[in-house]
Amino acid sequence: MLKWARTKSPWLLHFNTGACNGCDIEVVALLTPRYDVERFGIKLEPSPRHADVLVVTGPVTKQCAPRLKMIYEQMPSPKFVIAVGACACSGGIFQDCYNISGRLDEIIPVDVYIPGCPPKPEAIVQGVAKLLGKLKG
Amino acid sequence: MAIDLIFFVRTLVFPGFLFLLVLVLFFDWFERKVAARFQNRMGPSYAGPFGILQPIADYIKLFSKEDITPKQTNKFLFVVAPILAFSLFVFALFYIPIDGSNVILDSSFEGDLLLVLLLVTLANFGIFLSGWASLNPYSGIGATRILTQFLGYDIPLILLAIGPAFLAKSLSIVSIASSQVTVPFILLIPWSCVLFILVLQAELEKDPFDIPHAETEIVGGYETEYSGRKLAFIKLSEDFQFLIGASLVTVLFLGGFHGPVFIGPAEFWYVFWFIVKTLGVVFILEYVGNVSARLRIDQVVHGNWKLLIPLSILSLALTILVEPLLRSVIG
Repeated sequence: MLKWARTKSPWLLHFNTGACNGCDIEVVALLTPRYDVERFGIKLEPSPRHADVLVVTGPVTKQCAPRLKMIYEQMPSPKFVIAVGACACSGGIFQDCYNISGRLDEIIPVDVYIPGCPPKPEAIVQGVAKLLGKLKG
Repeated sequence: MAIDLIFFVRTLVFPGFLFLLVLVLFFDWFERKVAARFQNRMGPSYAGPFGILQPIADYIKLFSKEDITPKQTNKFLFVVAPILAFSLFVFALFYIPIDGSNVILDSSFEGDLLLVLLLVTLANFGIFLSGWASLNPYSGIGATRILTQFLGYDIPLILLAIGPAFLAKSLSIVSIASSQVTVPFILLIPWSCVLFILVLQAELEKDPFDIPHAETEIVGGYETEYSGRKLAFIKLSEDFQFLIGASLVTVLFLGGFHGPVFIGPAEFWYVFWFIVKTLGVVFILEYVGNVSARLRIDQVVHGNWKLLIPLSILSLALTILVEPLLRSVIG
């Protein structure tokens, strides 16, 4: 029953660690009538304390890394992280820049990677579905 | 012993706690579905048939999550305030007659309308304290916004609730409801009803007045620091407040549980009519919420003190003036 409740109601917190806003637009597109992820019980929550899933877009800049860690620590467990976009997965075209502290999974543990620049909303839905499949075990 | 058994069944199962909880979860689903349809979306669809189990999934998940109490908060208030608000709302709902009488039998008395309004006010204080105890800048702003808004709308709400009480010559909710058997008060004093729904929108923090938890400005408002079980209590108390608001409109203006009784026990039809009418009210509240944009806090304060209070006094005066003409149709 617990597993059922968790897979039916994942609440997202969206955090931008220095993305170009391309992935952010695609994440927000999930809430529009065309994709409407509320069908699956997915809601975008304003506060990290309410959220189950942290959706991170963008390469992690040096300034952002401690803040990202703080937000991750503020979330109540069980918590999951999705890396959206090529930058969050690997650093993308910015990976060796002077102001980038590294890939997302060098800072916090990541459960699902969704590559693409930017990934299509369908791809993000599939990524979330994979995470839910992982939850079911 | 037999009396005690009836008491326990009525308070805990029907029409008490368990029934109210199921009703509240159903209303939560209805609200989300209506809002989604207004925005041309589907809304929750996959948790149970038509997504009807979505609120249950949400609450089970919230109750099973880690319960964080941040270091800098006032621990006692932070834990107690959401539970206090929740229990006060449940207690207030016990005075709303759903199946023809109050949840606790024979507990209806002259003046329980005022008691319900008082309990709702106190419970709002609980919500304010929950934000205040978080010691988070966003929660603090949300909490002060609740108080500022609430100073404005509480007076017109009570003034407008006096209108139907005056027509019924009673301050008891059951007798107000039963004096509308022939004609519901919405047809006699529609001006009061329209204003009441508008003020209720502020009381319930719905859209033109949802500044206390304006997501785009102050994160989550008073509930920013809450997680897990305590967040579930805050969300539940919001849902209970919504049910109280909608059922107050039903009882004061739409005749409450009264309606045509067909085959079967009368209580079944009372509950049926009560739920149907309350769903109608919820739909209207959601409609107003979805077609309007958020006001600023100063606009709300001005609107409440300069517009709604004079209007509600005028509407009360008008009700008193036309009362002799309406006397013949009031049951």
